[in-house]
Amino acid sequence: MKYVQTTCPYCGTGCSFNLVVDKGIVTGVAPYQRSPVNEGKLCPKGTYAHEFINSPDRLKKPLIKKDGKFVEASWDEALKLVAEKFKSYKPDECACLASARVSNEDNYAMMKFARGVLKTKHIDHCARLCHASTVAGLANIFGSGAMTNSIGDIAESKCVFIIGSNTFECHPLIGRRVMQAKAKGAKFIYADPRYTPTGKQADLYLQFRSGTDVALMNGMMQEIIKNGWENKEFIQNRCNGFDELKKEVMKDDYSLLNVSKITGVPADKIKTAAEWFAKSGASAILYSMGITQHTTGVDNVKSCGNLQMLTGNLGRPGTGVNALRGQNNVQGACDMGCLPVVYTAYQKVIDETAQKKFADGWKFPDGIAKGENGYEVTTLMNVLTEKPGEIKCLYIMGENPMISDPDLTHVEHALKTLDFLVVQDIFLNETTEFADVVLPAACYAEKDGTQTSTERRVQMWRKAQDPPGEAKGDWEIIASIAAKMGYGAQFPWKTSEDVFKEMATLTPSYGGMTYERLNRPEALHWPCPAQDHPGTPILHGEKFGMPDGKGLMTGIPFKWPQEVPDNDYPFVLTTGRSIWQWHTGTMTRRSASLEREEPTGWVEINTEDAKKLGIADKEKVKAKTRRGEITIPARVTPDIMPGVVFIPFHYVECAANVLTINALDPIAKIPESKACAVKIEKIAEAK
Amino acid sequence: MGLFESKPAVKAGDMVYAWTTEDKIAQKAECGGAVTGLLKYALANKMVDAVLAVQKGQDIYDAVPTIVTDPNDLPGTAGSLHCGTLLLAKVVQKFQKGSPGKKLAVTVKGCDLMALHELAKRKGVNLSNLLLIGVNCGGTVSPVKARTMIRDVYQVDPNTVHKEEIDKGQFIIEYDGGHKGISIDELEDEGYGRRSNCRRCLYKVPRQADLACGNWGVIGDKAGKATFVEVCSDKGADLLQKAVKGGTVATAPADPKGIEIRKKVEGAMVKLGQKWRKKDFTSLKANLWNKIGEETSRCIKCYSCIENCPVCMPVSGNGTETKSLMVEQGALPPSPMFHMRRFAHISDSCVNCGQCEELCAMDIPLALFSHAIRSEADLAFEPKLGVSNYSN
Repeated sequence: MKYVQTTCPYCGTGCSFNLVVDKGIVTGVAPYQRSPVNEGKLCPKGTYAHEFINSPDRLKKPLIKKDGKFVEASWDEALKLVAEKFKSYKPDECACLASARVSNEDNYAMMKFARGVLKTKHIDHCARLCHASTVAGLANIFGSGAMTNSIGDIAESKCVFIIGSNTFECHPLIGRRVMQAKAKGAKFIYADPRYTPTGKQADLYLQFRSGTDVALMNGMMQEIIKNGWENKEFIQNRCNGFDELKKEVMKDDYSLLNVSKITGVPADKIKTAAEWFAKSGASAILYSMGITQHTTGVDNVKSCGNLQMLTGNLGRPGTGVNALRGQNNVQGACDMGCLPVVYTAYQKVIDETAQKKFADGWKFPDGIAKGENGYEVTTLMNVLTEKPGEIKCLYIMGENPMISDPDLTHVEHALKTLDFLVVQDIFLNETTEFADVVLPAACYAEKDGTQTSTERRVQMWRKAQDPPGEAKGDWEIIASIAAKMGYGAQFPWKTSEDVFKEMATLTPSYGGMTYERLNRPEALHWPCPAQDHPGTPILHGEKFGMPDGKGLMTGIPFKWPQEVPDNDYPFVLTTGRSIWQWHTGTMTRRSASLEREEPTGWVEINTEDAKKLGIADKEKVKAKTRRGEITIPARVTPDIMPGVVFIPFHYVECAANVLTINALDPIAKIPESKACAVKIEKIAEAK
Repeated sequence: MGLFESKPAVKAGDMVYAWTTEDKIAQKAECGGAVTGLLKYALANKMVDAVLAVQKGQDIYDAVPTIVTDPNDLPGTAGSLHCGTLLLAKVVQKFQKGSPGKKLAVTVKGCDLMALHELAKRKGVNLSNLLLIGVNCGGTVSPVKARTMIRDVYQVDPNTVHKEEIDKGQFIIEYDGGHKGISIDELEDEGYGRRSNCRRCLYKVPRQADLACGNWGVIGDKAGKATFVEVCSDKGADLLQKAVKGGTVATAPADPKGIEIRKKVEGAMVKLGQKWRKKDFTSLKANLWNKIGEETSRCIKCYSCIENCPVCMPVSGNGTETKSLMVEQGALPPSPMFHMRRFAHISDSCVNCGQCEELCAMDIPLALFSHAIRSEADLAFEPKLGVSNYSN
């Protein structure tokens, strides 16, 4: 029996636990009390994070599609085919999707492969679907697109405002910190169309219409300025743009009465929220998909930034704009440059100095991708259907767009236009259906590497068992393809540490990190630019990362979601998650302890709405939007706002994304997963 | 050397000072290294197939359970870690499956021992397969809380501390540049210190083990260099006798004054435990239902309480939630019956080990509730599986 300490493969909190290994196989999970993040505590996904590892469904051999069926192949055969096909395309005919689930080393390898081997400008990953608004929005106003504070210091807050995050279910061990703050006397304000388990702990619950976040926050800011509750010193010394902000939020549109009409929140509650928030002395905002997944995602994020700059709640413990990153390593995937506009550490591809730095560092004899911005994955899907043939080849690692992307009918259409699709994963899934080649990968328990949590803490994965069959680590597979294509010299790595070392030389925020320094329980928060730098738990203590060091306040006008309810589709459909499942379910639906708690999806509908439609709890109903329809059991509850329904997106048999709208934020290109128009119908009795 | 040739046979009840004769162990060990010496003898001479002990992980705040099969690896488990809050009894139950075919030596704190006894009553473990080396325990401190305490109260960087111990009612640290001790009472009044279940614990010297070892009562020239060993069973007597004969461990009779001192220390600790029990339980008295309801309202059904409780025996395989009439599948917070049925299940076997409370994702004071239930039930009702041979 051996305990191997590692970090969780599920959400972005970055909890640690031990994998228990017996005779070379992972048999269970044991607590790791020493972790400063979770102190041995786990959510149910962490408790059962071992259950899928040795599932009989694990991919063990490469698969090649022959006559419409997958046939097992040797690595040699598969690599040969992939290399040949990749070589046959022009650079920008290819696109790569990296993975928010795999290690930094794996993602760096994919990024290097895309730009150095394929020389394409098209690389992205699923951050596009979740926090693209954050990355763009916060970079725009603070100069850094990441969670500003640390998870631990949330417990020191005097007022926690959660908007658009069901923290108890999606980041449970961060939910714990909020409760710790509350136990010490902090006020807790919660804004969500659903009265979730998190909301039930709130001192003040704001039930508001999905997509009206800017109105709510502008309304709060008007109230704050009207009463003189703003932090004048902070605004004066640390920010630009107050006049623009003031001009917008003081408009009559954002009076308490008008905001109440737009959002559905009673005026007195908005006022109380504004007062508590502004006066506490240390207020923290926690947000997640409710803020980001809108056509106004970037606006929503910037509004959160406005609120914090207005009240001086940045750069200290218990404050901050805390964007809760979803995936275990989405932060790392972004840091590693798996985005169409940046290299690692957000160095812009259009910046000639940056391009030269990577070209010189990588030493590809025939150069690298040109310094131009590429397609985001949402744009890519549109290009595939609107201009078929422009993109011929797609290489996907650890992603399942056939469940996670908006408007699944559209996604299917898009994938079918491809000439060549390679998918690298640990299980077959709804996306591998369309692949020409499937490559079997190692999971988190089967490799060494690093991953970066939402609080910018870079932590280690440690190998606990061998991958099944002939499955290999992701960067190893990528390096093998590169070698087959003649670029072996540029992928000379023998260990994950080799990959990390190379990456760190090109990545200022990781520049001072080494495996030795990371191999301790506290690990390191980036930025950590030098060997003797202690890392940075809290950002923006003295200066923002902007050219003049000041944060940028902006005037954000409220805009409705792209598709609002009407007579044909009278409800707002909002989508989200359940604590029991992870995203497209490839891992959790194979974990018996998790799957049995919520084995299928549901449409949450308010008791009054259900009564009017004559729908009973657990009754199967039809949910229809302009994109498609699904059959799904109803869950009748008073906990959701009348006029709004909710569907979790995990379940292929009633896939929420069949219904969602492919409407994108103009800057971040993130889809509006949180708001579209839907109708709910009884299924006619056919007996 | 000639002294113990003429010694009478070791028997249960004997109290000796013991120490390892091996330098490698002595260097790493605290107070004589007898425990590690005895374990090494047992393993090397095939009295057991493996040893389950604790060793230091990444630093002095990190305790890692380890199965050792090579006697030369045992020095790594020497020393003591007051931040080792883990429960080896659970490792035996869950990951060693009760150790049915393997003879296992285990170092056990009081809570480990009580848990193993409760398991044995319910046929969850075969005690005759286990060689139990008990260690005195006055309580443990959660590692991250210990670091916060050292930073905030001691005003010392926890990364510079290389040794910690609990002695004479103080938590003492040695760090680069000095050492500092603060009274546990003071720390605990300020909200720091030992885990709350440890504070209530009355089982400080694990006499239901085969040997009970510690450093209380070691006085004179052996102070700090020997372990006080109380022989508690024939198995223990046998091990000690053989280890001494084999030259791995040396002993001397315990100083009678030392025995008195040990008794006093134990008495003081038990008294302190009773003070905390009174405080904790009476604070629950008036508002019990509401308190339980309020606290459990934060539950996210992480199952840590069930998975880490040494006496919780869940039904294996699917099916519980789909058959339950009172606990709704997947619902958060879970129905009250989720908690109530677990309290009922462990009500006569909770040993106040505190794992549930320390590992609860939402800091629900579960051990407080369960311990209170067990304590009261023990007073009011006949134990269905027989009286326990310990009191807590």
